[in-house]
Amino acid sequence: MEALSEVPGLRLIGSPRDRAAVVSFVMEGIHPHDVGTVLDQEGVAVRTGHHCAQPLMERFGVPATARASFALYNTHADVDALVAALHRAREVFA
Amino acid sequence: MSDLRDLYQSVILDHNKKPRNLRRPEGANRDADGFNPLCGDKVRVYLEVEGDVVKDVGFEGSGCAISTASASLMTEAVKGRTLDQAQRLFEGFHQLVTRPPTAEPDTTALGQLTVFAGVREFPIRVKCATLAWHTLRSAIEGGATATTE
Repeated sequence: MEALSEVPGLRLIGSPRDRAAVVSFVMEGIHPHDVGTVLDQEGVAVRTGHHCAQPLMERFGVPATARASFALYNTHADVDALVAALHRAREVFA
Repeated sequence: MSDLRDLYQSVILDHNKKPRNLRRPEGANRDADGFNPLCGDKVRVYLEVEGDVVKDVGFEGSGCAISTASASLMTEAVKGRTLDQAQRLFEGFHQLVTRPPTAEPDTTALGQLTVFAGVREFPIRVKCATLAWHTLRSAIEGGATATTE
């Protein structure tokens, strides 16, 4: 969460009191679909789109989000890879 | 492994940042909505058809870079063409983005549209690229809503 909050233009969606290991976010000026494609090319797998939750997308006023999930097999290196890939996405769409 | 540059060529990035014909033409007499329900891309295509020529064309909408750039390039390709030519461009474009990645794209008829040849390597984005074209065809045929479902 800390690493993500340092990516410029990234906005986290949802601020639950108790958070599971799932983070939805949008990048300013880059559609989540495009974020997903860049991340995929950088070897980071996220899901993008409505996540079968269209009413929630409307509630948050976003067309879609990118969502990263972490499980017990993920490492700090994976977080670093995600952040690096997000920076790459910003480069591509600058 | 496919290169990102195959997909996000500079022409596409340019048209995404500065879409051409992002407007409703004043004399618009046909329109159709397009929706990509899997990801939320939305587009509305306006046509001003005089006789059998597309006198003017514009679009409105929101979506990913591929769908926006595709709509923008579509309007540039179609403006001033006959309805028949526009239909043929639709078919050519559809072939371009759905053929197997190894097949050589037919660049002559499609001109600038061949920048989308790279979409073949990213199958999940094909529907983003074709949405504007399906919507165009819907507008030509007088239909209401196109969907890429």
